[in-house]
Amino acid sequence: MTDVQIVRGELQPWTDHNPTGGATLLALLDDLLPPRAERTLVVGPHTTEVIELAAARSAAVSVLVRSVSDAQEIRAAVPAEHVTVITGALDGLVLAEPAPFDVVVAADGLDRVLGADSDPLNWPQRAAELWKVAAPEALAVVGVANEFALTGLYDRRPVDARHGDDEWRPLHDDPDRPTSPAQVRDALGADRLYAAYAAAGAVHTLLDVDAAAATRPGRPGARLAVDGLSATAGTMPLLAPVDDGSDAAARAGLLAAVAPGWLAIRGSGGPTHTAYSEGGLFADLDGAEWAVNVSGDGKRVPDTENVETLLFRLAAAEDVPGFRAFAARLGAWADDESVILLDDLFPADAGFVRGFTEVKSTSTTAELLAAAYHRLGDRLLRAHRRHPWPAWMTESDDLVSTWLSMSGVEATPEILKRGRELADQLAEPTPDEPDLRTILADAEEAQVRATDLAGKVFALQRTLRFRDQSLRTREQQIRKTRDDLRGLRRSPAMRLHEITNKVAKIRNPRKFAGAIKRRIRRS
Amino acid sequence: MHHHNWYYGQQHILARYCGLPDDFPPPIPGYLQHGWNVGCGWNPAHEFFDGAWRYVWSDAPRRRGHSLGRRNYSVVGAPMLYLMDLEPELGLTPEPERKGTLWFLFHGWDAPGIGANIHGDHQRLIDEINETETEPVTISLYYTEYKRPEVRKVYEDAGFDVICFGERGWNYEGTDRQFLYKQLKAFRRFKRVASNRLATAIFYGVAAGCQPAVYGDAMELEGDNPLFGGQTRIARLWPDMLGKDIDMATARAITDDELGQKYIMPPAEMRMLFDWNQRD
Repeated sequence: MTDVQIVRGELQPWTDHNPTGGATLLALLDDLLPPRAERTLVVGPHTTEVIELAAARSAAVSVLVRSVSDAQEIRAAVPAEHVTVITGALDGLVLAEPAPFDVVVAADGLDRVLGADSDPLNWPQRAAELWKVAAPEALAVVGVANEFALTGLYDRRPVDARHGDDEWRPLHDDPDRPTSPAQVRDALGADRLYAAYAAAGAVHTLLDVDAAAATRPGRPGARLAVDGLSATAGTMPLLAPVDDGSDAAARAGLLAAVAPGWLAIRGSGGPTHTAYSEGGLFADLDGAEWAVNVSGDGKRVPDTENVETLLFRLAAAEDVPGFRAFAARLGAWADDESVILLDDLFPADAGFVRGFTEVKSTSTTAELLAAAYHRLGDRLLRAHRRHPWPAWMTESDDLVSTWLSMSGVEATPEILKRGRELADQLAEPTPDEPDLRTILADAEEAQVRATDLAGKVFALQRTLRFRDQSLRTREQQIRKTRDDLRGLRRSPAMRLHEITNKVAKIRNPRKFAGAIKRRIRRS
Repeated sequence: MHHHNWYYGQQHILARYCGLPDDFPPPIPGYLQHGWNVGCGWNPAHEFFDGAWRYVWSDAPRRRGHSLGRRNYSVVGAPMLYLMDLEPELGLTPEPERKGTLWFLFHGWDAPGIGANIHGDHQRLIDEINETETEPVTISLYYTEYKRPEVRKVYEDAGFDVICFGERGWNYEGTDRQFLYKQLKAFRRFKRVASNRLATAIFYGVAAGCQPAVYGDAMELEGDNPLFGGQTRIARLWPDMLGKDIDMATARAITDDELGQKYIMPPAEMRMLFDWNQRD
């Protein structure tokens, strides 16, 4: 264990998978951490990038991880002399009585800071241990997992199968663990609190809890949260898609309460933004608008429901005229500046404003609209949302063609094909395994479809029977008419009519009489 | 895929609207509402095959059908509105020259073996028509009544013109494909449309610009199924459409709702909705 210090409670052999990190967390820490701290403690598993950022902002950094092998790897990756790597448990570090730290980074939370030999400390006790090594006015960043997270409520696994080897004691069966934004604030004395969404350790999105609580379904804030939830859910076996639950939570103003976790900030630090997310995005809620910055480009996005939400609502209400009018408005606005993501497009005045995501494209406006509608259809159907269009439309390009036509675009095969390709490029990654409700709904739908198709066969056969009957009726009518005609031909009146007809054709009676005479003579 | 869709030549009109041959229109993958209805678009005991789509004129039948456990509704608007779009000039008469009342007697129905006649006091109705109408009256009888001399003669003897627009057919036979064409042409020359029940013809008449009136003995229909609420429900839901002097603006608004004016769709959209585009 060259260059790695050790305190009581180290784990060996052991590895904490998925250390906390990611560009989103780095962006927040970059804003938050003071330019030059004296002593910084990074406690729990974090990525090398987090440690390096802390090292760049502090005269001395201590990194505490419980896994011996993890500590060795960190040491190898971060050889800087002012970085001390320690392996052991948090309670072990407290016993070592280090000088107080003026910055504490525990973004991974307090669930991976004890060893199997540690005392059974509950969450408040672990937090108390943390404060023992922190200076009174320290800036602390602490992650808290949420036991009431939607992703937890929708987790398909039973409780005893969720945490694997981590739970040598029932770590999560802890009545004193904070489980709401208010409880986290109280427990940590947090000055700022973010709803945190992470996938396999990488923080995807951070959203201020007040903004998360205030947003509503389809609004920019909700979109950030739902994107984050989807990222978290993508790595979990689920009972049902989290989207429905997140919409309901947003309506109730509880989106922050059902986040997978929180990131609490105590103490002073640099100013931070309302939200951080993938792709270098940060944004601030400013009254009725979001000031959005994506990779250095700033813009303002109205805090309104996005186009997808509005179209889904019209579809669910089976309000086709409303849908048509909205699609017409969309068609009148559409341009080829960048791809059109309807879940990230917001009505503004007579037109629309693109939201957080800008994906440049060389495609035509018609192709971009086709892509937007293909994607809308995919998301509508995948979520088994209610809509008024029959299966033969949804199973073909007819639905997208119809929507394009509503937007004033004539759907050619080329436009539809290019739109499909673009939509596939923009599609969200498929979850590792489909959720249980989707599997059941797909199965039920297949059963209904089979019944419907059998009904269609029945109806076609019945129509054929009616048509056969019509043909028989017509044939009988034709036969009867033909028989009547035959009878008419044989009648004396018809014969007289025929003779009269022939006689009427004699134009020159003298010639005719001469011809008869000649024939009589010859005979 | 059901012969009712041919009634009054409605399927033929929609095929023509879609640019398809209207002599033998392609099948509709379900059921097309063929008359104004206070229920789910069809009679209470109507059969539907599994997976059938139900194409209704307006949203209210869709909602009522949903409440009955029925799904697969699509609101398309009344075919008569599409015909009006196809035939903007048919029978068009300058407004000042429109005159008289086209009076529709509530009619029986004609399913072979299970049809039903109406019963009521025709003379009393005639007296009321004479008391009410100030211009010449033409009585329109459905063919079920037109062929009953005891009904038809009563109105002829009263001095009214009596006309019949034809038969709706049965099992793809006997459908007068010009039924609605003739009706539209007639509506456009009359000033008023009237009936003893709020019914399809009243809405068609209003759509064609006639001043509506609904009055007189509503008469009884043999075996009438009251499941949907009957005449009292009509009085509760559409009181503004009953009476001898109905506000025209209100009538137009209600008519637009009931015939599904805002649901009229372009031909290309309808072809996809009916699966009428050739896929092979």
